[in-house]
Order: sequence, then C-alpha cells, then structure tokens
Amino acid sequence: MAWEYSEKTKQLFMAAVHGEPGTHLGEIEDPDGFGEHGSIVCGDAMRFTFRVKRHPTDPAQDVIVEAKYLTFGCTSAIAASEALCIMIEEGGYTPIQALKVQNSDIVKFLGGLPDQKIHCSVMGAEALESAVFNWAQRRGVDLEKLGVDIHAEEQAEGRIVCKCFSLSEPYIRRKIKELNLRTIPETTNAIKAGGACMSCHHVPGGLQDILDDTWGKDKDSLRIVPATNLRSVPGRLVEPVESRSPEQLSLSPYQFSKKVEKAIDQYVRPLLVKDGGDLEIVDIKDALIYCRLGGACAGCAGANQTLKMMVERTLKDMVDQRIRVIAV
Amino acid sequence: MRTIYADNNATTQVAPEVYEAMIPFFTVDYFNPSSMYDPARGTANVVADARKRIARRLGAADPKEILFTSCATESNNTAILGAAKANPNRRHVITTAVEHPAVLEVCKDLQRSGYDVTFLPVDGEGNLSLSAFVRALRPDTLLVTVMHANNETGVVFPVEQLSRLTKETDPAIVFHTDATQSVGKLPVDLGGEFRHVDLLSFSGHKLHAPKGVGALYVRRGTRMKPFMIGGHQEESRRAGTENVPYIAGLARALDLAEENREADEARIARLRDRLEQAIEQRIPCVQVNGKHAPRLPNTLNVSCHYVEGEGMLYQLSAEGICASSGSACTSGSLEPSHVLIALGIPFTAVHGSVRFSFSRYNTEEDVDRIIKVFPQIVANLRKLSPYWDNEKNVPRPNAGQESRST
Repeated sequence: MAWEYSEKTKQLFMAAVHGEPGTHLGEIEDPDGFGEHGSIVCGDAMRFTFRVKRHPTDPAQDVIVEAKYLTFGCTSAIAASEALCIMIEEGGYTPIQALKVQNSDIVKFLGGLPDQKIHCSVMGAEALESAVFNWAQRRGVDLEKLGVDIHAEEQAEGRIVCKCFSLSEPYIRRKIKELNLRTIPETTNAIKAGGACMSCHHVPGGLQDILDDTWGKDKDSLRIVPATNLRSVPGRLVEPVESRSPEQLSLSPYQFSKKVEKAIDQYVRPLLVKDGGDLEIVDIKDALIYCRLGGACAGCAGANQTLKMMVERTLKDMVDQRIRVIAV
Repeated sequence: MRTIYADNNATTQVAPEVYEAMIPFFTVDYFNPSSMYDPARGTANVVADARKRIARRLGAADPKEILFTSCATESNNTAILGAAKANPNRRHVITTAVEHPAVLEVCKDLQRSGYDVTFLPVDGEGNLSLSAFVRALRPDTLLVTVMHANNETGVVFPVEQLSRLTKETDPAIVFHTDATQSVGKLPVDLGGEFRHVDLLSFSGHKLHAPKGVGALYVRRGTRMKPFMIGGHQEESRRAGTENVPYIAGLARALDLAEENREADEARIARLRDRLEQAIEQRIPCVQVNGKHAPRLPNTLNVSCHYVEGEGMLYQLSAEGICASSGSACTSGSLEPSHVLIALGIPFTAVHGSVRFSFSRYNTEEDVDRIIKVFPQIVANLRKLSPYWDNEKNVPRPNAGQESRST
C-alpha cells in the first residue's frame, strides 16, 4: 500500500523530523495546559502542551501563544500534530475557543487524509481537549459553568467496548455522534474502535448495537453475519473414522504410559546416565513413544540409532511388541 | 538518486537472463501448448522442459510432480483445500501462528467451516517447539502445513524433522510446506532431507522470475483434489492454459539461483551481517528479531523501541531506500504484524520494526548508504517521541510502563 498523503502532510512531516525552524516539536516546560491521548500499545500517542498569555483578571480570556507536541506515530500522526500546533498558534485563540478546532479542521488543513488515517487527526483533537481541561483546572476556570462540554475524563469510566484499544462505551457513543459515523468501517477509521481483533463488532453491546442505538436500526439493510458465528461448537468431538493405531492396547492409556516410564527408568535410563546422557519422553500416542535424548547423548551421531535399537528393543520386550519409538 | 532496493522478500527484480528466456514466447512462439498443429508442439515442449528442469533442481523423482500455478497463494490454497477435500474423514489441521496470510487465512477459513485447527505458537526467537508439535498430532489430523522460512523474520523452521515426525506418526497425514521464501535461497531436496514432504509451494517473483507464476510440488500418491477445475492441463490437476513465457522464466530463474546459490548466499549473508552489526552498534535500544534462530541469509528484521515504523519507511523512501515494516500503520489494518506479536516482541518495539531483505543485486554500497542514513532517521523520530529522553539519549524512565489504556 503506497502512501497517499497530500503534499502538505508530507511537507509537515519532513519539516518536523528535520526539526526545521517554525516546527513545534518538543514539550513546554511548566506549561499552562498539558494533555495526552493514545498509548504506545495502540501504535500512536501524543503529548500536547501549550502556554498562554495570562489575562490579568479573567483567566477565561487567556490567549494561547505557544503550542508544542511529542508524538509517537506514523507520518500522518506527526503531520497532524504539527498542523494542530500551527492552527492553534495562528488562531490567537483562548483555550475555550481552541476547542472549536475539530479533527475535520485538521484534516482540511492537511489537504485530506486517507480514510484509515483519520484517527490521527482525532488523536490531535482529543489531546487538545485534554490539555484545555488541564488548563481549566490549573487556572480555576469552571468549564461547566461556561457551558463547555468537556469529556476528557470519561474514558476512565464506562464499560470498555473495544478491548484492543481500550475504548469505553461513553467515548465511542460520543464520537459516533460527533463525527457522524454510520458504519463499523467508518468508526474504525475514525477512532480505531474494532480495528484489531474485530470481536466487538457484532456482539451484544458491541459496535453495531451502539450504531443501531444511535441512528436507529436500518431494517432493510443486510446484516452481515459475523464469520465467527459459523464456527463449530468448541470441544465437539470429531470421530476419527480411520484408526491408524494397532489394535486397541489392552491396558488403559494411563496404565500403558506408567508401564513405559517404569521400563525406561529401570532398564534404559541407567545405561544412558552412565554415559552422561538422559532420555525425555515427549509424548505417548497409543503405541508410539516420542523420545528425546538429552545430556551427553543430545546431538551425538549415534543418537537415533541408540533410540531405535536400544530403547525400542527394550520397550518392545518389556511392555508391548507393537511399540515404536520416534526420535524428536 | 539511485533507488536502493532492500525489500526482496516482497518481490524481486526480474533477472535479465530470465527476461531474455521469456521473450520468444510472447510474439513468436505464442501457441497454446494444448493445440494440435506442429508449432504448438514447440511450446508444449518448452513447458515439459521447464517442468523437468525444476523437478531436477528440487530433487523431485518425476517431472509430473511439479504443477504450475499463477502464484504461491494459489499453490497454498490448492495444497490446503485440495488435501482437505480429498480426506473428508479427517477434520484436524496443524499450522503455526506465523504463517503467511496465504496459509493462515485458508486455515482460518477451514476452521469456520467446522475443521479443528491447531495454531502452534513460537518462542521469542521465532522457533517452534518440536515437543508441542508432536503433542498436537492426532488420529484425525489430515494436514500439517508449516512454512519453511518466514517472510518477515527470515526464521527457518525444521521442515526436515517436522515432516519426518509427521510421517513416522501416520503416513496418511499430508505434509505441506510453504517454501516461497526459501526456494533458491536454501537447499531444498525433495529426494533427500525433504523426502517426507508431500506438498511444497513457491512462486517465481521471489527468485527473480516475474510475478504471476508459481508452482506446487505434489509427491506421487498424495491424496488431493484439484482447486482450479475446468480444463485437462497439468493432468487435470490444475486447469488453465499454461503461462508458457512465465513458466520458461521460472525454470531459468531457478537454474540461475541454484547454479550460484552458495556463492550468492554467502555474499548476501555478509551484507546482511554487516548492516545488522552496524545498526546494533549505532542505534541504542534496538533488537534483531530472530537473531538467535536459524535465519535466511538475506533477511534482517530490527525493532527500534519507541518509534513507529511507518515514519521510518517514509524517511528511508525519501532517501531512495525501499524497505518494509510490520507496523500497524503500514498494514492497512490497525493491528501490527501477527508474526512479531507471536514472537512476543514488547509493545514498545512491535510498532517500530523494519525489515531489510537483500538479493544478489545488492551491493556493499547499498549497505553503506543504509548505514549512513538509518541511525539518523531513527534519531529524528525519537526526538519527536514522548517516550524518549533526548538529553540522555535513553528511554524516559516511565516509558513502556503505562497500562493498555487511552
């Protein structure tokens, strides 16, 4: 899959990795707002910090003058981080105004992003939101009173729907509405939910249920039956029709294996130990005894001969003529 | 800027000799080998000759054991589904967690239609446990399908021992190996060490033949049903008009690879080893995946902790260097490489993997150039990473300790 990035995305990425002047790589020391989103497990993570010019009397009128980021992520994640900082700085926004910068604005600034990279822009918007929340706490601004709906803390609460990316139900519900996500693929592209193991797609309370709940169930549309429903009942016994073992051994498998072990302990192992070797029984299937020579015998040229001649002969004589020894 | 191609496990350049060998069969000897007139006998002979040469190179007893296909994916589908179809009384398949999707997804498909599939795990170096393999064998096992060499890490599985253990347990179990990455690079002798292998897949474009041609070795007496039906070609075991030029190219490519294999592979191994040592010396916090396992001589898979693979590939590409990554961002899905996950690579590194894979056309200068630019590329991204302390050039103390939460 070749890159389908816009020129703007490529240019911002290359400028960032080369640390060109005017780029926003880094972390502001003692920032006024600090926010993070994502984690290294998911494949992208962003730390976003900003500094404000403080308003002497009304903290709500602080103006953001500097923004920086550290981002672990792909080309478009880094370009989206740059874009966010540029937009925030150029806007001359208060932190509350900055919340108006949506992921779609970042996508627009970048001249578009491939569908499967939309989540990179969402990460930027989420990190910004979390930084604004942090600023409000530091500066004693009551966001709720100002009518600002902040969700940065919701991720900690709520049932986890997408276990691979640790995304909670409240978060997914909000994002589905905010970003007008109508299908599972759209949801995955935007916020990664359901993008890895896919087991949350069609389970009760899963992504499809949340989508149906949000938008109403489209009765005419074909429901795709998840392939996993077709799987046979786990643990169902499959009766082997051809039996390849010799006739049923008269002993129970347990008695048989005990007898094999005893014969090895009494007659085989002492001879091997004398030469600094040992023998491990790896498995017993009917009359097939899988063994591995250890100690000094391991890797020695005559090892397989030893197993065949000595061990198999002994076990045939002592336990059952049908025994075959296989070297592992 | 000259392109440095270091992604030969993805595909290879067609060798000029191979290209030459194919040319006559496009505009001059273009006849359908199944036709009755005299000129068609010529093209039929070309296919027969190619079959004979490939059989000999692989140690097959009879040229009829070689089926031509369109690619390794088709060969794998044919082998697995064909074996399952021909042995309907058995319902168990053994494979590994690190197979190429052309095997893994076919096995998962069997699982969905009611088969029981064992996916054998690997250890941190990418090795299989022979004991776990033996314990997985069952009376109703119909097929074992285990790759020879891994496409991502280059780790080589002991096909010789696995196939022997299979056949000593039960000769009726079909043993298949996907040898797409190893044919032409490692010795494959179906009359010798691989004498217990029933089915073996490979393709042309990993060994300097073109894309669009592959082969499946089917040992005489192996129970399997055809996958492609609708024609009598390949003795009705694979329908479809023979791709004469590409088949001629495949035979020429295998001849070339085998004639020069030891010298070529020794030289390629030196290139790979030099790059590996340089990366380990010059870049902190890297790990070579599969370093202590038997490995293909041409493959180097390194994980750079705390950086993301796609950003590395993009910068390499800007320097004219082609490589690939197991990072989620390059895969089209959001999940990083299933192979690296199976190896248990720590999550701080699984997204930061890069694979360099060489061929006979790579040079010392190629390696020099990669060594020159790659450490800086990693450093560039670490400067941006919230997990890296740039003053001390070490990971931040808390990096990687966070839980899996957003």
